[in-house]
Amino acid sequence: MQITCTINGKIHRFDCAPETRVLDLVRDAGMTSVKAGCGEGECGACSLFVNGRLVNACLLLAPQIHDAEIVTLEGLQEETAAIRESFAEHGAVQCGFCTPGFVLRAYDYLSHGGERSEEAIRAALDGNLCRCTGYKKIVEAITKVKS
Amino acid sequence: MGVVGESVVRVDAASKADGTLRYTDDLPFEGLYGAVVRSEIAYGKIRAITFDASFDFSDIIIVDHRDIEGRNANVVLTDDQPFLAEARVRHIGEPILLLAHRSKRRLREAMAHITIDYDAQEPVLSMEESLALKQRLYGEDNVFKAIHTVKGSPPQKTGLFSLEKTYTTPHQEQAYLEPQSMLARYDGGRVKIIGSMQCPFFVEAALEGLAGEKIEVEQAPTGGGFGGKEDYPSLIAGYAYLLCKKAGQDVKIVYDREEDIAYTTKRHPSKLRYRSRFDATGKLHALEVDVTIDGGAYVTLSPVVLARCVLHAAGFYDCGYIRVDARAVATNTPPNGAFRGFGAPQVLFGIERHMDDIARHLGLSPAAVREGNLPGAGSVGVSGVPIAEYARLRDLFETARRESGFDAIYDAPAPNRGIGMALFMHGAGYTGVGESMLASSVSIALEADGSVEIRVGSVEMGQGTLTALPQIVADALDLPVGMVSCRTPNTAEVADSGPTVASRTVMIVGRLLAQAAGKLKTALGDYGTPDAYRAAVARYCKSGGPLQFGASYEQPADILWDEDLFYGNGYEAYGLGCYIAEVEVDPVDYRVRVVRFDAYNDVGQVVNPVMAEGQVEGGVAQGIGYALCERLVYEAGRVYSPHLSDYTLPMAPDLPEIAVRFLGTDGPSLGLGELPMDGPSAAVANALVHALGSAFDALPITPEAVEEACR
Repeated sequence: MQITCTINGKIHRFDCAPETRVLDLVRDAGMTSVKAGCGEGECGACSLFVNGRLVNACLLLAPQIHDAEIVTLEGLQEETAAIRESFAEHGAVQCGFCTPGFVLRAYDYLSHGGERSEEAIRAALDGNLCRCTGYKKIVEAITKVKS
Repeated sequence: MGVVGESVVRVDAASKADGTLRYTDDLPFEGLYGAVVRSEIAYGKIRAITFDASFDFSDIIIVDHRDIEGRNANVVLTDDQPFLAEARVRHIGEPILLLAHRSKRRLREAMAHITIDYDAQEPVLSMEESLALKQRLYGEDNVFKAIHTVKGSPPQKTGLFSLEKTYTTPHQEQAYLEPQSMLARYDGGRVKIIGSMQCPFFVEAALEGLAGEKIEVEQAPTGGGFGGKEDYPSLIAGYAYLLCKKAGQDVKIVYDREEDIAYTTKRHPSKLRYRSRFDATGKLHALEVDVTIDGGAYVTLSPVVLARCVLHAAGFYDCGYIRVDARAVATNTPPNGAFRGFGAPQVLFGIERHMDDIARHLGLSPAAVREGNLPGAGSVGVSGVPIAEYARLRDLFETARRESGFDAIYDAPAPNRGIGMALFMHGAGYTGVGESMLASSVSIALEADGSVEIRVGSVEMGQGTLTALPQIVADALDLPVGMVSCRTPNTAEVADSGPTVASRTVMIVGRLLAQAAGKLKTALGDYGTPDAYRAAVARYCKSGGPLQFGASYEQPADILWDEDLFYGNGYEAYGLGCYIAEVEVDPVDYRVRVVRFDAYNDVGQVVNPVMAEGQVEGGVAQGIGYALCERLVYEAGRVYSPHLSDYTLPMAPDLPEIAVRFLGTDGPSLGLGELPMDGPSAAVANALVHALGSAFDALPITPEAVEEACR
């Protein structure tokens, strides 16, 4: 089937089977910041925005993004610069595989006026898995993002 | 400039955070996807493989064991594991055929049109069945390796108390976020392997046997390993190699999470029987430990994991008589392998639970019992040599006990709350004389612009190699850290510095790099300023001297080890930990929350404090998961629910504030990676015992287990 959407502001047309995962579509289109971690919406490594909502790309099928506006970390470099800097500075990046997902989660949280308390940030990170850091430095990095 | 000891920002942080770093599956690729057809039964013979005649297989690349030109054996410690099954299968998921095609969809369809018929036999699914020889799977007795060691003689003293307890630990899944992935590049008849791995030279050695020639192996950015990418990548690299060679095209194999959890190596489950004799103060007079670990279907690294079990089984406590009998057994389950801690987390759970059980038996405080058993100048460990770390261990214990306020909380706990402690050590580097057998070497190269490139096989997998090693070299050369970088580990281009395992990268490889840097510094002569350095480099380059400087491991003269007697220095040095956990139990739903965690560590000089804290915090999180929630269910030899929705990992709201302290930071740097995985499970379990007064002897302690204990 034919799917049309915009990814990071550019129009993309896909000819694909209806059961194709959005995760695979956007990765094949070159957006490799979107990582395949668990395939079932548990880890958040494949986070991206669909029409402004942060979702797991592994749980969406191609028809669900027809005519939609997709934004990945590649399209949010300027907006996430302060967050990424804080992640680096506070040691919130280790193997890095989960990091794009966490950066987008932090961006979504902060741009919706999320509270800068440890407890609130921990709760907001509930959908993202990190096996390296124990989360402490990620929480600290988000608390200290320069606004 | 002293960059060692400074929290230099990781060199790879920016490219990881902006999503531009390319892991294996992100690399440009125009080839075929590979897939593995696996055994559906746990034990038996392959009777027939049928390719459905109604399906067109003509465009599918198919590989079986007959396509192997070299040896069909993944040589790790021994050669019992084939890359592809021939006549017999020994576990569910054992690879039988490999397929490749440009379309993943067509690959899936092809797999559905292959039928394998078996003569199934009754499988051996538990350690008990294995020891009872339900089937003979390995040697005469199904034992991959047995170790027996005795130190001292049994106490003559009468009137001692005795206690016998059995503790068990489960499989644990490494759960690196990036699944196993491997890419074989085809270039005019030659194959190059690029992939997610900890040990490029291990993969090179395995492929050399398989292919009958040396194959270049390069590490791609690796999204976590924790041991899961130590031994396993040799297999998947072999599959990619075989398909690539036959197809004459690039082949990529990326496991999905289900395949990764179901068929790759796990932490060995263990059954631990502790029998102790002690006096009324809790002083140990005799300790007998019986350890059985489940190796799964093939030997892999089990003998070395077992050795680490034995060396850590008694902790560092002072005891006149220690006996350890240990064995790794064969079963018809997927092979187990390396996982952070490598045998130590199992037995340290045992000994640290047992110390609390002794205290409970006598009605004493766990801290007092530990204090009474701290080693002194004359105390010898399980391998018969003095415990050199005794003074540091006492310092660590006393500081942790005092600063955490352990005694006051223990004496007057809040309702439904408890506090627990674990005091432990972790051998850094390879066991025994393993480092001398590795004979690691390192190389650094001086560039014309004065920058220095490190050329070693040690890899970055999240722990910080790309940043820590340059810090060490820059420190030795008095250069800014930005002047030193690491070349991508590639077996054709770097020195074999040994595998990236066993907390050995900073301690062993770092030390060798400092030696190599010392040689470069001597060659350059005096320089005090950046300008003088540039002038010295220009002068030296003109003189035509060598631009590469190396160093190789030489065993320190005071290290001795007799493998047959299991006597000597089990390790060159040990890192030490004293971890304290406070837990709260919900009396309604039996959920356990760790509400506070203090991790006191002594690992000598800390190279990069922020990265080191991150290692401890991450290790503690893994240890808390091991203690409370990580549970793999096996049914008839199959991982029953191989998903991250079933195998629950701790998430941010599940974890407490983890307070990390480093003591004794003036000594040489010891490994740090494994230590924080060792202590949390016992500290958490002991806190639960304190909170509820019930025994918690089996991990993981799920809400169901708590409910059961509270009945």
